[in-house]
Amino acid sequence: MAGLELLSDQGYRLDGRKPSELRKVQARMGVFTQADGSAYIEQGNTKALAVVYGPHEVRGSRSKALHDRAVINCQYSMATFSTAERKRRPHGDRKSSEMSLHLKQTFEAAVLTSLYPRSQIDIFVKILQSDGGNYSACVNAATLAVIDAGIPMRDYVCACSAGFVENTAVVDLCHAEESGGGTVMSLALLPRGGQVALVQMDARLHQDHLDALMEAAMTACRSLGQVLDGVVRQHLQEVSVLTAE
Amino acid sequence: MLKTEKVLHLKSSRGRKVRVVREHYVRERVPCCSALCQAGCANEDKVLPGDVTHYVVPDVAVVRDFLEVLEFRELRGIVFTQTACQAIQHSRGRRQYNRLRSLLKEPLHECVLFCNEFQQHTYCPRERDEPQEKWQTRCVYRAAVWYHEHLAGLMPVVMITEDPDAVAEYSSLSTGVYVISPQEYLQSFWPDVQAAQELYSSIAQALQERESEGQPREYPEHLPAEILEPGIKAGRYIQVSNGHCPSAPLEADCRERAAPSCENTVSTDILVWGMKHRNRAIHGDVVAVELLPCVDWRGRVTALTETEGDERTGEELQSPAIPTARVVGILQRTWRDYVVTFPPWEEVQSQSRNSQRILVTPWDRRIPKIHISTQRAEALQDHRVIVRLDSWESTSLYPNGHCVRVLGKAGELETEIQTILTENGIQVPPFSEAQLREMPVNSKENPWRVDPGQEVVRRDLRASHLVFSIDPQGCEDVDDALSVRMLPGGARLELGVHIADVTHFVRAGSLTDLEARSRATTYYLADRRYDMLPAVLSADLCSLLGGVDRYAMSVIWELDACSLAVRSVWFGRTLMRSSYQLCYEVAQSLLNEEPAEVPELSPLAEEDRRERLGELKQALAELTRVARHLRTQRDQGGALELEGLEVRAQLDADKNITALVPRVPLEIHETVAECMIYANHWVARKIQESFPQQALLRRHPPPRQEHFGPLTDSAKARGFHIDTRSNKALADSLDRAVDLHDPLVNRLLRVMATQAMSNALYFSTGSCPQEQYYHYGLALDRYTHFTSPIRRYADMVVHRLLMSAIESEGAAEPVETPANNKGLEETARHINGKNRAAQHAQKQSTELFQCLYFKDKDPLTDPRCVAEAVVYAIRANGLLVFIPRYGVKGAVYLRNRENQVVDVTGDGSCQWRPGSLQRFPDRICCVTVGGATHTFRLFDHITVRISVQVSRCHAGNLHLDVVSNRALEAPGPDRRPTGKSGTELVQEVVRWAEEASQQAEEHGTVSRFSKEEREYQQSKKPNLYCLLQEIRELALLDESNCQGPSLPSS
Repeated sequence: MAGLELLSDQGYRLDGRKPSELRKVQARMGVFTQADGSAYIEQGNTKALAVVYGPHEVRGSRSKALHDRAVINCQYSMATFSTAERKRRPHGDRKSSEMSLHLKQTFEAAVLTSLYPRSQIDIFVKILQSDGGNYSACVNAATLAVIDAGIPMRDYVCACSAGFVENTAVVDLCHAEESGGGTVMSLALLPRGGQVALVQMDARLHQDHLDALMEAAMTACRSLGQVLDGVVRQHLQEVSVLTAE
Repeated sequence: MLKTEKVLHLKSSRGRKVRVVREHYVRERVPCCSALCQAGCANEDKVLPGDVTHYVVPDVAVVRDFLEVLEFRELRGIVFTQTACQAIQHSRGRRQYNRLRSLLKEPLHECVLFCNEFQQHTYCPRERDEPQEKWQTRCVYRAAVWYHEHLAGLMPVVMITEDPDAVAEYSSLSTGVYVISPQEYLQSFWPDVQAAQELYSSIAQALQERESEGQPREYPEHLPAEILEPGIKAGRYIQVSNGHCPSAPLEADCRERAAPSCENTVSTDILVWGMKHRNRAIHGDVVAVELLPCVDWRGRVTALTETEGDERTGEELQSPAIPTARVVGILQRTWRDYVVTFPPWEEVQSQSRNSQRILVTPWDRRIPKIHISTQRAEALQDHRVIVRLDSWESTSLYPNGHCVRVLGKAGELETEIQTILTENGIQVPPFSEAQLREMPVNSKENPWRVDPGQEVVRRDLRASHLVFSIDPQGCEDVDDALSVRMLPGGARLELGVHIADVTHFVRAGSLTDLEARSRATTYYLADRRYDMLPAVLSADLCSLLGGVDRYAMSVIWELDACSLAVRSVWFGRTLMRSSYQLCYEVAQSLLNEEPAEVPELSPLAEEDRRERLGELKQALAELTRVARHLRTQRDQGGALELEGLEVRAQLDADKNITALVPRVPLEIHETVAECMIYANHWVARKIQESFPQQALLRRHPPPRQEHFGPLTDSAKARGFHIDTRSNKALADSLDRAVDLHDPLVNRLLRVMATQAMSNALYFSTGSCPQEQYYHYGLALDRYTHFTSPIRRYADMVVHRLLMSAIESEGAAEPVETPANNKGLEETARHINGKNRAAQHAQKQSTELFQCLYFKDKDPLTDPRCVAEAVVYAIRANGLLVFIPRYGVKGAVYLRNRENQVVDVTGDGSCQWRPGSLQRFPDRICCVTVGGATHTFRLFDHITVRISVQVSRCHAGNLHLDVVSNRALEAPGPDRRPTGKSGTELVQEVVRWAEEASQQAEEHGTVSRFSKEEREYQQSKKPNLYCLLQEIRELALLDESNCQGPSLPSS
């Protein structure tokens, strides 16, 4: 099966999507009651769970506290059953710590941390099933969880991956496409203002193609933002109906 | 979010060990690509026509095994399913899949791909424990039913499958969808496509044979790709492209493509010796080889071997040992169609017990014999047939193949020509109805007129300029015309080159354009030509004939009248009328102030005529002055003497006409050529500046210094020194190397110099660094082809590029370019390949005619078979000679099979005597047992006798025997005027073929395969008028090809 054809001549991808189509997104907020905020998201076959605690006092050494804003603490982990072959070490490996760092940077840009000086917000994300686009699923889940916790943010943070196959930008890559050897870019966007919270790309890409790729990823993020917005509104409706009774 | 509806399906497939879950999205709207679509599908580029009787949906197994049958253009309305495509990709690999893809892209073939697995209603999940074949058949059937329903029952759908169970199960399930076997399908729906049925049965038989095999292993197994790739990276194996020299069937000569670990990056040759070591690799394959230990290395055989493949093991015949290797794996097969000859029936019966499985011999000597399974061996004996290779198992000594098409009986002229075309991959079907429909009409009743709209946008030169064309006598396709005039004031001179505006008539992407692209060039064979464009364009509307209005693309320079420096240049579309259609000879005599007959002037009154003649003469003189200036400029840059290149073109293409006697070169040839080169150069500059990334140029890379070895050695033998460091030095030293007594020496040296040259190539500027744009032969920094759009596709591409370059100048935003770099590079590669094929075909057809010419002459008595030859190279057991009279190059053996050598008696005649040979760099000595010694030196003139070595399976070749070591005396009566003898040769052979076919008709024994024979023949019936016409054209083509505008093609 050397060299899977990622994009057919008819313009279909492996799973039947067109290059600019996202996978099916399903999400729920408030899945746990113990935590301050929680959310669950499915993007295709990638499933992620996020919980948020805080803002609360800085735990551990006091020296970490910042006098003018809150500290954001992120932890990323993958379930041992999340991949096709069972994982030995669910968290703490190189990749996970890198991912934790990326999440931290993303949310420091989005959460209004200056409202909570000398305090700490914890975001824990777990990948239950991995099928490409782990980072974007985590960011989207964490956004919902932060909103669920009632922590003010500048905007939704929406993330999406995009790749470049045969001179065409392809968004929301699945695992087969990600491992196909092409360039993969992950982009986190604040859709209303169009600010980029994080962009990351590991492989090489010709400069001429960068704009097209960014544009495709940003469009995808915006449409994801609409989906998340819909989820939040639906959740609020359900909750308000409950409280009204 | 997104508009399309999607339903999530989970598809689990067990890969190696892991369970992989993949999403699968299906949708309602998948384009059906049919013109009959009622639901308004978003059908793009290619659609199935509505006027066919039915659509056919082939099953997976049919697509896999019988794709070649489906490739027939007569079979219309084929719907390939995605299921079948994916199955091909998995089971047959990239090659077959790409073939299917190119079939789907081919605009002339009416077939489409339906993505049935992404359609909501045709997608069927595979059930538990359902065999793959069953599931695939079910999917294909669902797709067929869907098609029928989607088109609202307007079109019956036929599904073809090999599986009898499926036929039984599905055939009565729904009306309008028929399920039958392919054989039945071909018989009932396409009874007139006989070739498809034959191909079907031959493939079916080959498949059956393969199943019933089980023999001991003949070759070691190939290593799998997983081992080869790391091995190549680690330097254990070396990746090479396999090409072996045709003279030694047991040797394979490989050129290393990348030198992975060696410090020297110079690519080296690696020898693979013998069938065993070659291990099923076929000429052209990309293979991985493993070097043998040093003790097993051997040298290349330098002796001239007899073509029958006798093995020589004498160590003294070999050059020093070079790296020797064996093939361990094949990275890429490049199998094409091969022409083979069936053996006579008696031979088949005697040599094998199974007379349905026979061994046939390919026409190309480099290809091993092929096993064919057929029941028609008796009918096909001594016929030439196209076969395709299927497989080469390690258990079989020879590869397996199947017949595709019968060309005809071996030895017949038409068959041999078709063989040459097929072997070079040239396809020239007659222009189709649809292509001809695109053509503008120009007939007596309905003459073509200049479009008033065009009159406005084009610069009108009809009244203002004196335009004339100079071409060979009687030329039909005039693609260039010239004009020159003094501008008012007298300070500026205006020079114009006007080229036929082909792209006005042939729009990019039209059927004619696609056909022209696939042909890439007009093919000139010895007795006929295959045009790139339909005749209405090439000989009429595009041709810049005298006295009629024509569209043109023009390059007009304003030059300083004294210094001839370029002041400004204008490119654009024009409207012109050529006043004079001159031929070279007339133009030259006008130039020399000799009396000449200009046909356009003869009806005029005396006074008027004199005035007009004076005008024309002055223009010609002015033109010559400019051309001389341009030539000197280029010479200073180091341009190689074109004469030399031209000789090569003549010899390689075997234009023996001009090669017989040194031609009297007219200055006017050079004048025209120089103007064309100049136009090409300026256009190249223009498009390269406008499109730095996507302009089609032509480069001529400098030759590799080691290729000059034979040249410098030969020159040293005559005491000349050849400096090859730069093109200027080479040109100068070639000019000095003149032997006053023997003009042939200089010509042969030039021939050798041109042999050392690499080929000029088209390329796209985006894929080549700028310093490699240089044209070595013409000494120009940028060059392209612009001046012959009627017969070269590259010129049409350049015309389009030039037009958009002109348009983009005025426009504010950049105009869309006609092609991107990748597409252009693809086009360039295609054209380069086709040009090479055209050259080979031309050469081989001339050789064929030479053989046919000498075939019925008795070499012992006929004086025409004895000719003078010049030695130009020395080999271990013979000489390579050049026969100026016929333009033939060949080998002369000085030792025969009985180990006898040539002995020269007192009067110069030669005999075979026992003895030995001694080879030196510049001479070879024959020492007989008696002690007599005779030496043959380089550039000696000897006399040879020409006879034909007839070969049943291959092209015949000329055999030369040395008759005397002196030049042929009294050449007087044999010397024929230029241009005659070659024509005569062709004429005679054609007449011979004509008589043969007449005889055959008289006896009522018309060949059974006459239909296939005629299929690819442009002239339907060989009547005498056509033949004479062709011969006349040929004579002109010869000249037009070696002179005039084709000079830059070197």
